[in-house]
Amino acid sequence: MADKLDVKQGTLALMVLKTLDVLGPLHGYGIARRIEETSRNRLSLNYGTLYPALLKLEQEGCIKGEWRPSENNRRAKFYSLTASGRKQLAREAREWHETAELIAAFLAPRRGTP
Amino acid sequence: MRYLRVALARIAGIFTRNRADDDLREEMQAHLEMETAEYIRRGMHPDEARRQALVASGGLTQATEAVRAQRGLPWLQSTGADVRYALRTLRRSPAFTSVVVITLGLGIGANTAIFSVLRGVLLKPLPHREGDRLVYLRHSIGGPGGDNVLFSVPEVRDFRDGARSLGGIAEYSPFSFTLRGEEDAVRVRAGLVTGNFFDVMGLSPVRGRVTRAADDGVGVPPVMVLTHDFWRKRFGGDSTIVGKQVRMEGKSVTVIGVLEPAPYFPDRVDAFLNMVISEHHTSAMMVQGRTHRMTEMIARLVPGATLEQARAEVAAVHARITTEFREAYDPGSNYRVAVIPFREALGARAQLTLWLLMGAAAFVMIIAAANVANLTLMRGVRREPELVARAALGAGPPRLRRLLLAENLILSLMGAFLGVVVARGGVGLLISLAERYSARANEISLDLVALGFTLGLSLTLALLLSFTVSLPREGAFASLISAGGRRTSGSLRKQRLQRGLVVAQISVSVVLLAGAGLLTRTMLQLSQVQTGLRTEEVLTMEVPLLELAAAFVPGADAAAKERYGRMLREVRALPGVLDVGLGSPVPLRRSQVRFDVKAEGKALATGEAMPSAELRTANPEYFRAAGIPLLRGRPFASTDERGSAPVVIINRTLAERYFLNVDPVGKRIAWTGDVLRFTPISDEWRTVVGVVGDTQDGGLDASPGPVVFMPFTQMLAIGGGLVIRADSNVARLTPVVMRVVRGIAPTALIENVMTVAQIKDQSVSPRRLNAVLISLFGALALIIAAVGIAGVLAFSVSARTNEIGIRMSLGADRGRVQRMILREGGVLLASGLVLGIAGAFFATRLIRGLLFGVEPHDPVTLIAVAGLMTAIGIVACWIPAVRAARIDPAITMRSP
Repeated sequence: MADKLDVKQGTLALMVLKTLDVLGPLHGYGIARRIEETSRNRLSLNYGTLYPALLKLEQEGCIKGEWRPSENNRRAKFYSLTASGRKQLAREAREWHETAELIAAFLAPRRGTP
Repeated sequence: MRYLRVALARIAGIFTRNRADDDLREEMQAHLEMETAEYIRRGMHPDEARRQALVASGGLTQATEAVRAQRGLPWLQSTGADVRYALRTLRRSPAFTSVVVITLGLGIGANTAIFSVLRGVLLKPLPHREGDRLVYLRHSIGGPGGDNVLFSVPEVRDFRDGARSLGGIAEYSPFSFTLRGEEDAVRVRAGLVTGNFFDVMGLSPVRGRVTRAADDGVGVPPVMVLTHDFWRKRFGGDSTIVGKQVRMEGKSVTVIGVLEPAPYFPDRVDAFLNMVISEHHTSAMMVQGRTHRMTEMIARLVPGATLEQARAEVAAVHARITTEFREAYDPGSNYRVAVIPFREALGARAQLTLWLLMGAAAFVMIIAAANVANLTLMRGVRREPELVARAALGAGPPRLRRLLLAENLILSLMGAFLGVVVARGGVGLLISLAERYSARANEISLDLVALGFTLGLSLTLALLLSFTVSLPREGAFASLISAGGRRTSGSLRKQRLQRGLVVAQISVSVVLLAGAGLLTRTMLQLSQVQTGLRTEEVLTMEVPLLELAAAFVPGADAAAKERYGRMLREVRALPGVLDVGLGSPVPLRRSQVRFDVKAEGKALATGEAMPSAELRTANPEYFRAAGIPLLRGRPFASTDERGSAPVVIINRTLAERYFLNVDPVGKRIAWTGDVLRFTPISDEWRTVVGVVGDTQDGGLDASPGPVVFMPFTQMLAIGGGLVIRADSNVARLTPVVMRVVRGIAPTALIENVMTVAQIKDQSVSPRRLNAVLISLFGALALIIAAVGIAGVLAFSVSARTNEIGIRMSLGADRGRVQRMILREGGVLLASGLVLGIAGAFFATRLIRGLLFGVEPHDPVTLIAVAGLMTAIGIVACWIPAVRAARIDPAITMRSP
């Protein structure tokens, strides 16, 4: 419990988009579970982090929500990726990879420096 | 694009708030249930599962708030709520609200009003083209009344030839005319100017043209340029005025133009004319008399020339002519010429008074702000429990800060609104004050810059105040709540700030009160000055029947004298009239005519200035009617007429100057000097037949100068005035006397109809206005400071309720508690007094020029001020001290 990480600003949106891309339409609980599982429980999402992020993505038009019955027959809001969300995901994933490579290169142990 | 989309979604979010909240609750509820179900599935007890799910959620309320913050425009929405809360809170503490609003309002109002005047009079750009290059030349001599003796035309010529850095020198000479209309006659104050006057001044006409070089000299038609005000008032802004003829001084004058609105300089005038209108101004006396000084000089620096250059050149010319024409500059009089930037000359008299008022208003603003700060600080501490409660209910520090800000902004804006109301009234009052001092009073209006400035000031204040109140720190709520929410402390640091503010208030009040005291004493001293007349039951009026231009028409003088004789007879016959005199000018008015005077057998010591005396005329009853005491000899008699031996009566000042220790009666004096050549007055010896007491003709604050009276009948009847003494209530005679005078001279000008009491009052009133204004500021400061002391002590008492309760239960009696609080206040009071008296010592020196008959460090005033402040301060301390003594230890200790 103690060594759980906070979700870094900006990365949560990417995780949500990717989750929806992989699993298709999903409610908030499902998204949270998936992110926590993927992070092997190193991340924990409380509602105050998750729902504002979902609302923001919805406002940006990357995802849209609709009310549907859930697996246990309760009404739940299911989010799905929109076309612009897909584009956004592709762009952000690419940028993230580039950044990650760059940082990795920086942090790599230096060898053969003149 | 994305931002726009988000913004639109957010705005939409404001309006769908309730439905969205419902949706969100349902969404989170579903989340919670799914999570609970999951935990149960893993084998948890349902209650435990629900608890775990709730823990994982991190708080539904907080999450709702976070989503709301993302959904709409939370800043805008909560601002609305803040304003509503703030209004409600302020309504619930009306005392606090009204004290703050009134304090701020008065401070802002006074500042705005006075700054408006200051800007209008001193700071606004001049309408004159390149006004910065204009300079005013002032010719002064030593001794009373020698501040500005003007220049003679030959002197102007010397400077025009000798000072190369002065590109143009314009001449201006004051004159007044009777302008005849269809039915009435009005006195027109005019400036006689050279053709280059407007070009030098850099002023343009709004209609027609201004004078030019071709209008100079003799043999040209007289022309007139109206000032904008006079054009509007007298001619109703007649758009066809240019080219019209008006009658003045028996001549026909053409109006050639209307001047743009501009400050009146050097005098407040109605019109400008070329010199040809006045025979005097084109006479040999004017043009050649080196000592006939009645011209003002305004000059324009040539491009590139500096003020220092001009000063050096002017000094060189002055040095040359004083050696060349020794007889015109007696060394004892110390002739000198100053070159003064025009703007400075324009505001010279207004400056000190206005800066004084501005300083006072700023002081009041400072202590008002200090008081508001103090009240807010104390209120902030009292409100700690409320703020803690709000924080516990989910309001973060920024939100609390905004709530405070909203309250303070509302207070400031209400104060500013009241301030505008006060300022509007104040500007009206101050314009009448400024008119006495400045040529620019006509430019004053409620100044938007000033208003903006004070508004900005109050908003800044609101901001500062909102950030001086310390908020409960995040995470410390729990301890604050468990403390019972009754913890009103205020840290020591904060109390120190409050105390400092109170000390500052007291000391500033003391400074203001000292100023008010000195000005009040000045006014009292001045109103106690004896006018020199034995009674105030005297009515004076000027009825000039003989115009200078017509004075030498055969028979005109005799006709005027005959009409004066009829007036005297008819007025004397009126019931209630004791005496009627005739003379020029009437008592307590300065004579415009003065010449050098010598006494038979008295030689001047080397380096001694030649005495000059005012020439006044009087008929035999003048002195008795005016109540001027005859000290020696006799008054004029009806036998002192034209052709009989020339006689004079002199005043005490002249008698002491020339006839110390001898009886002046029977001695002879004579007018002397070059200038006499150009006047109808001879330099023959005249026998002194009487000595009369001095009168305050130059105002109550001016020491009387030498005066020579000549018999009215021995002189041309120019500028006659009636002096009427009644048994009581002389003012009631005014309409009756006016009717009599009108009956004899239906179209004559009747001017300055005033009782002696009114003339006296006119002399005192500017000082009184100063005293009243500063006293008002002082009183205001005193009240605010008193509220300040009482407030801080009351706060201190309420913060120490527990402590006092403990002291009392341990045996301290009421007297001791009361003394403890009084001592606390006494320390503040004493520190404030010491600082204030020290400050007053420096500040009052700055207003020396406004004082009369009292020294800036007048100990009586300072002691009185200190006494008053102490008395008020003790009363202000007493109330909280008594309240502290009434604390019931039993109740205090039992309450949490």
